[in-house]
Formats: sequence, C-alpha cells, structure tokens
Amino acid sequence: MDYKTIMCDVLVVGAGGAGCRAAIEAAEHNLDVIMLSKELLGKAHTAMAEGGYNVSLGNVDPDDNPETHFKDTIVGGNYLNNQKLAEVLVNQAAQRVFDLEDMGAVFDRTPEGKIAQRTFGKQSWRRTAYASDRTGSEIMVTLTEGIRKTSVRVFDEVFATKLLVTNGTISGVCAVDLKYGDYLVFRAKSVVMATGGAGRIFKVTSNAQLDVGDGYGMAYEAGCDMVDMEMVQFHPTGMVKPESAKGRLVTEAVRGEGGILLNNKGERFMNRYYPEVMELAGRDQVARSIMTEVLEGRGSPDGGVYLSIAHLPKSIVDFRLESMVEQFEDAGIDIRNEPMQVSPTAHHFMGGIKIDEHAGTTIPGLYAAGECTGGVHGGNRLGGNALADTQVFGAISGESAAKFAKNAKHLGVDREEIVNEFERLEAMLNRKEGISPSDARSELTELMWEKVQIFRKEEDMQHAVKELHRIEEEVVPNIKVDVPVKRFNPGWHQAIEFVHMVTTARMVAEAAAMRKGSRGAHFRVDADPNDKGYYNIVIRKGKNGKMTLQKEDLLITKITPP
Amino acid sequence: MTKTFKTTVFRYNPDNDDEPYFQEFDVDYEPGMTVLDTLLFIQDKYDSSLAFRWECRGGQCGSCAVRVNKTARIACRTKVEPNAKLVLEPLEKMPVIKDLVTDMSQVTYRLRRIRPYVARDKPVQHPEIIHSEQIEKLREIRKCIECSACLSNCPIVHETWDYPGPMIIRQLARLELDPRDVEDRVAMAMNEMVYTCTTCKMCEDICPKSIKIPSLAVELLRAKAVEAGYPLAEGQQAFVDQIKATGRSVPEKDKSLLSEVSSEEFLVEKPRGRVAFFTGCLIDYRMQSTGKALIEVLNRNNIDVIVPKEQWCCASPAFRTGDLNTAHAAAERVTEIFEQVMEKYNLDTVVVACAGCGKTLREDHRPLIEEKRGEPPKFKVYDLAEYMLDVIGKENIIPPKGRIDLKVTYHEPCHLGRGQGVVDQPIELLKMIPGVEYIDDPMKNRCCGAGGGVRAGQRELSQKIANTKKEYILATEADMVTTECPFCTIQINDMMKEENMKVRYIPDLLAESYRKGDQ
Repeated sequence: MDYKTIMCDVLVVGAGGAGCRAAIEAAEHNLDVIMLSKELLGKAHTAMAEGGYNVSLGNVDPDDNPETHFKDTIVGGNYLNNQKLAEVLVNQAAQRVFDLEDMGAVFDRTPEGKIAQRTFGKQSWRRTAYASDRTGSEIMVTLTEGIRKTSVRVFDEVFATKLLVTNGTISGVCAVDLKYGDYLVFRAKSVVMATGGAGRIFKVTSNAQLDVGDGYGMAYEAGCDMVDMEMVQFHPTGMVKPESAKGRLVTEAVRGEGGILLNNKGERFMNRYYPEVMELAGRDQVARSIMTEVLEGRGSPDGGVYLSIAHLPKSIVDFRLESMVEQFEDAGIDIRNEPMQVSPTAHHFMGGIKIDEHAGTTIPGLYAAGECTGGVHGGNRLGGNALADTQVFGAISGESAAKFAKNAKHLGVDREEIVNEFERLEAMLNRKEGISPSDARSELTELMWEKVQIFRKEEDMQHAVKELHRIEEEVVPNIKVDVPVKRFNPGWHQAIEFVHMVTTARMVAEAAAMRKGSRGAHFRVDADPNDKGYYNIVIRKGKNGKMTLQKEDLLITKITPP
Repeated sequence: MTKTFKTTVFRYNPDNDDEPYFQEFDVDYEPGMTVLDTLLFIQDKYDSSLAFRWECRGGQCGSCAVRVNKTARIACRTKVEPNAKLVLEPLEKMPVIKDLVTDMSQVTYRLRRIRPYVARDKPVQHPEIIHSEQIEKLREIRKCIECSACLSNCPIVHETWDYPGPMIIRQLARLELDPRDVEDRVAMAMNEMVYTCTTCKMCEDICPKSIKIPSLAVELLRAKAVEAGYPLAEGQQAFVDQIKATGRSVPEKDKSLLSEVSSEEFLVEKPRGRVAFFTGCLIDYRMQSTGKALIEVLNRNNIDVIVPKEQWCCASPAFRTGDLNTAHAAAERVTEIFEQVMEKYNLDTVVVACAGCGKTLREDHRPLIEEKRGEPPKFKVYDLAEYMLDVIGKENIIPPKGRIDLKVTYHEPCHLGRGQGVVDQPIELLKMIPGVEYIDDPMKNRCCGAGGGVRAGQRELSQKIANTKKEYILATEADMVTTECPFCTIQINDMMKEENMKVRYIPDLLAESYRKGDQ
C-alpha cells in the first residue's frame, strides 16, 4: 500500500471559520503549519452562515456587556453549557471581531462608524454584528484573505479519515487527496480538529454537503471524550420549496429585523406559545411551535408555516436581507410582497468533542474548535454565537497547538495501523458486491430525520439505536463504490464519509435514548418529569471497543440552574 | 409521465482516457430544477463517479461553476430549460482534473501574487471608525464568492494569462477602495495589465452576485491610474486629445455627415413619432452613409428625425480609459445639447446607432448627471433596432421588400447586448428582410476585441481577440456578418480582410432592402 508522508509542526484539519483562525494563530509562532481542507479554500460551510456574530460591544445598546452575554448564553443553552467555555466565549468575542476587522472584514456600521449590531433571538440587547445577511461569507472571505497573508500551507481537497495516536498522544492523521486519490500521512507535533458539524446525517438540513461528521467519527475512534451529542439544533426556518432547496437556511435575521410567523389562518401563532418574545424565542422553542402548528393542521399546503416581511420598509429588506431576496427570487418568490414558506431544518450540533478552556481534548496534543466541539452552547445555541465560537476557540486552539508543538517532537507512527486504514478505504473500491453509498446514505438520513427529530420518544430512540447497530454491522463493512476509480470520485468520497456519518448518528441516538427528560433542543414527548436534565452525557469508546455513555455533572462557575 | 430531457456532459479521466469525450444522459425534469440538481441526478442514477464540485447549493460558496452551453455559470443558481439542449463542460482555460473538476492552482497563484489582503502599516486602534459611505462601493464589490466563472469566458484571459482575469482585478479594486489598505494597488493593477480589459461586461453577466466588475473595478482602477499620473497609451491619448479639442474622437477626413446633410429636420407627412439622432463620432466622420441609412429607415417608418448640427462626443474613450475630467465635461455638454433639442423640437427620444455611444449615454452619463444635479437627463435613449421593435412595434414596421438572398449572421456588440440589454431586436429586424437566412452564432456575444481602449492601446492583443472571434463567425458559414456598432464594424472588417465574408451595419442592410423594394 503506497502512501506519502508529509511533515509539519501543527496540523489543522478543517478550513472553515475555526480552522482558518487556528491556522492563522499557529502560524504566528514561527512554526510550519498545514491546513487540510476537504473543499477548496474558502468554500467551507462558514460561508453559509447568514445572520451574524454575537459580541457585547454595546455599540447600539450601550448597557450590554460580557456578563449579560454570558447570562443569555447560559439561559439560552438551558444551563447545560460548560460555563468555563461560555465565559471564554463572551470575554474574547470582542477581541476576535476586531481581529477580523484588522484582517479586512467589512461589517455594516452604526451612524458613528462603529460595527452595527442587530437583534437576535433570546438576547437582552442588540448584540449581533453583521454584514447584511451574508455575515458568514464576509468572515470566510476575510479569513481566506488572512490565510493568504500567512505561511500556512493549504492542502485543499484533502480528506482526513483517521487520527493517529501514539502512546496516548496525537501523532498525525491519515488522509486521501481527493483530486488524485493518493494516500497521505501527515505527521505533526500537534493537531487541531476544526471539522464542523454533521447536519447531513439528517435528510433535511441547512448544511453544506461536506458537513457529515468526519470530525466526530475520527475523534471518537481515536478515543476522545464526546459531550452533548444528543443536542442537535433544528433551525426553525428552512426553505420548504422547491424540493431541491428544501432545508436551505432562512436566516434568523429575517425575524430579528421584524419578520413575523403566520399559520394558514393568518394567525401570528407565536402569541400562543411565547407571547413575551414571540418570533424571537429560542430556536428550539420556535422550531417546536412551528411543528406543532403543522402537526395540528394549521400549516401551509407544503408542510410549513408562513414567514412574512411584507410590512418591513423596502430599504431594510434590500440592505440587510439581500441574500434572502436573491435566494427566494431563485424559487420564484418575491419576499417583499409574498410570504416565505418555512419549516425546521437540521442546522447545528451543540455537542461534539469535549474540550477545556484551552481547546484541549482528552488526547494530549489534540485540540479542537468550532462546531465539532461540545460544551460552549449547552442544550441550545443562540443565533450568532456560532460565528463567535469559531473565532474565539479557533484562535485559542491555534495558540495551544503551537505551544504544545514548541515543546514536542514528532512521535513515531504505527505503520501497520496506517496500512490497515488505507486498505479499508481501498476495499470499498475493490468489493465485487455490496451496497452503494448513495443507497446507504438515504437509509441513514431518512432514519435520523424520522426517528431522532424535534419531537422525540422512547420507542423511536430504541428503534433508531437498533437500526444504527444493524447499519454499522451490516452496511458499513459492505459499502461498495460503483466505479473503482481513485481520481476525483465522488462515489468513493461518499463511501468514506458514510462511516463517519454512522458513528455520529449512533452517538446522537444513543445519547438521546439515555436522556429521558426534555432539555434544550432535546424534547421528549414522553418526558420523564423526574429527569430535570441538569447533566451532560459524555460518550467515549470503551476498552472493549463498545460505545460507553455516562452522565456527568454540569460545569458551573457562576449561574446555578433553577 | 415525467418529462425527461437530454444532458450532454464532458467526461475526462486523464489517468485512463487519451482524450475527453461527451456522454449523454436522460434526466427527469422537475419544475425549478437547476444545473446542480441535474448533475446530482446523473450522479445518483447513472454514475456516482461523475466528478463536479459543489457544497452549499445556495450560491454562497462558489464551488460549482461549470460551463452551461458554453457560458460559465454557477450550477446551483442556473435553471434548466427542459426543452432546450444542455451541454455541461468544465471551466475554460483551467486544466481538467476529472470531468467537470478543474485545477484552480493558476487562480490561487495569481491571487497570492497581488497580496490579496488588507495591508496595514501601523497597529489599529479599536474601535476603528469607518463610516458607511466609505464602504458603500466596497460592500458591493466584496460580494464576490471566488467561483472563478468570470475567468472562463473572459476574452482576454482566453488569449493570455498576462491578464489575471476579472475576479482578481476586482480584488485589487476591493483593496484600493478599502480605506485601511496601504499598498499601491494602482501600481499592481498596472502590473496586472488592467488596460487589457475590453469592458465587454461578460464577467458582469456571468457573475452570480452581479458585480459590475468593468465599471466598479476596471474603470475605477484606470481612473485612479490617470489621477496618479500614469500616461494613457499613445493611441488612447490621441482619442482623448481629439475629443477635448474638437468634440470628436477622430479627426475629420471626408466631409462629415453633419456638414453634408442639408437641414437639421427630416420630417415626414404623417409622423407617428419624432426622435433626435445622436450620430456619434464614427458615423459622423467615417460612416456617413450609415447615418443617412438610419435617417431613411426611420423616415420610411413615418418617424420625424432631427439631426442636430451641433453634436459632441459621448466621450466613451475617456470613460473607458479613466480620463474622468474629459468624460464628465462631455457628459454635461451632450446633455445640454440634447435637452435644448428636446425643447426646440418638442421631442423626448434620442436614437443612437452606435452601441458604444448608447451604452455611454445610458450607463455612464445618466447616473453621473443625476448625481451632479439631482436629476438625470430628461430624454430617453434608444438603439435603432430597439426603437423600431419596442416603440414603433413589429406590427407597425413598414416591411422592407427588396430581396437580399444571403445567409446572414449577427455579431452582438458587447455594449449593445450587455450594455443596453438589446439582444433580440437586431435579429428580429434581420429576419424581416426577404431572402435573408439568419444563422445563429452560438458565440455571437463574444467580444470582438475593439472596445475598452484595447484596439487603440494594445493592438496586438486586440487582434488576437479578433482572430478568435473570426473563427467563431466563419464557423457559421454565413455569407455576411451584420452588427450594430461602428467600432465592431471596423474591427470585423479588419479581421475579415482576407476572407470572403461581407460585413454590414444593420441600418445599411435595411435601407438597401427598402431601396431594392422601391424598384
């Protein structure tokens, strides 16, 4: 089995908001930094974030401060957050948004020329910095410019498949060059995981095609502790039509700017559920309200509800919601006059790799940042906190990885393990018979969408867990790529991804089955009233290779749950 | 029953195939379907190894640019027309990795070369005060998602990598417009050959974010260059000097149209309308017969034509090359002259036969005058073909009767098609001439290489572009190529010197048919 070995000091896996920020930070330490990007540089899912970046600058509402941001984040997260991490988030968000400006970001301005801030759900003040409704794109473009200023070596379209651990410490990764199909081993003194989320394990999602949970799968297999995996945010407003656009994000900024939700009777139904905050309730709350309307027969003909901005001034719509205008124009709808149809879509993983306040995982030398980590957002993430998360923890992980690398040397790697890994990938191409990746993927994403969704119940959880076991045992080892070609073969890419998807889905389902009460995004229709839910579920791979789950106490620094 | 349509896809795996080939697939049509949906359908149903890039499916990431029927588009925002053919190819100019996936390393390298980030020379104080007005233009130009589609159909990039392409010139303008950036972006733009752009606006047409790259980037950087004291090329400067001295961009040779015509007024008995004729420099000084043909065609259609004796250059050459002083002065002068004509002759419409003049009056003068005095020029501007089809109306046009038995194709002037949105009308007019067999050139909207000061300043490059254009025109096997712009006509005449291809201006051909019909 031929492979090439590439050496570096710090390796960053993932090139979205967190990965780029980590690489930029690490490169400032006079180290050789490689960033692996599964896609072309700049095309990561961060570019699809729309609404904004939460930071308590107080440019619009001067009474805002990190304390209030912290409180909103913890209350919004249903008290499940790792409060140390949340403190770091709110305290460093300002410095990191200034970094972005230093690099060239162009945020919209207040009349005084400071960064403008808008209303987002569940926040005490106007706190969300933005660039129209393409804030993620603005940040991704800025980071791309930033990367091009550094010495970071970008390996784009390189897909990491396995973490290498030597005597308990990180030593590198196995990867495939998607362009030409070559097998690569990257040996590094420290590694940052910044692999994003896994919305794609659900049939309906706002996520880009690459968000399949590679990082969750790899970290779990390597022995990392994983936390809060049952907490999946369903964004309340995804597109409903056309079919091919189903699930595409309709930014929270639409509601932040004053958009209202209506059912098929023209009622502003949020009045019934959360009259104080209406459309700006938590994302979990709005998503459940919408689904309740739909399930009780008050939805639109296509299975959603209506979101209207017809009453907003044209100037606001054109200036602050320009992408939405464009996105619905493509679907033949002029949102300035007609309401949008929306329904919930799988959007964000609150859970993920467990990290400490230095972005360290449970494996020495391995750091993680962004959506692939868990703990910052607890049971529900506030809109606008994800972009801040990528920058704050991206920078911390880059710095920590650099410091670790400065005092470390390259460890040896287990070549037999490497060969086994590449043989596993090669086998998918050589199998004579088996299951096609696209069929396997459909089965998985439908199962997750139907059984592990917004309204959860024991029976569904058990069914999903059982099915996922079966898929893991029967489908995963029999994945067969239709055309045995290694050069840019999407069928093969999907096959490799599928393993990560199954591992991720299993963690979600197993944790969801374990949590018997409702908390945050995890809502049980058969909730056990005795389970208040004030704990985190930690998952790790047991010594016997089996998935083990255990409840852990919350990490509380300031705010005790009621 | 599900409607299906055929999609032809470029296939190539250089590991196994000696050369690329095309493969045809039947695809089930769904309303609202995009090119990306089509590719995903093929991948799912027929061949999971079909290689193409995509990520966000929502026009945000810029991964999925491919050529759709020869023109680069991002697949996720391009709708499929189920009754037309669909041919999908990789972006031009970039080497193929496999199928529709190309190697973008040249683009990355060229981007890196311009130090594509905000360069600072001192630490920043926070908060940094930047006012909305300072970033207004920057905000527009920054919407770029680096899909690279605009590089694919750029006629300059097609000829030479000396020019890094619209996307990268845009990045230079983005940095030049950024009040925080301290690098000399104008010098970089000169080094990156900003004067090779013909301002054909293909990039603007292709851009999924509709960024006006020619005006917001190319012309902006050129204006900054002129301001910084960079000299124009000799040929370009000559045009500008001539405008400043005489109000015409070229020197007089034969008797000019305006001095030749007997009166300002060409009136008909029962007029259905009245227009003023803006001749432009080349029709006045070089193509007098075309000017006369235009008057005749309009008169024959019962339109009064006023030809003001005093006219002034629209200063397109100055707008395109960045001499804004000359350009702005001319815009004011032209507005003044034609507003007086409006009053004197009680009319509100100006007809133009030159694509470049029409574009300049509409796209450059109009916003400029509006900005200066709070009100745009009072008159409406139409291209001749547009006026005939859209104002007179096809059913009211007096049909030309003289047969012209020729296979005729059409070259769409950039500044008519993309500059003024006049695409179908000239072709409609051609089809009204008895005997004419219209042959469509799929590349009819490819630039001829004359505009943007390129013919004047970069003759060698201009000829390369023209020669490529020539191949497309010859491939139609027509007897005659027609167009609606004097500058294109001159350029195409030059390129066709050795060929058997006739080159005609549409008003001339129309007038010829009318005259033949009289006999």
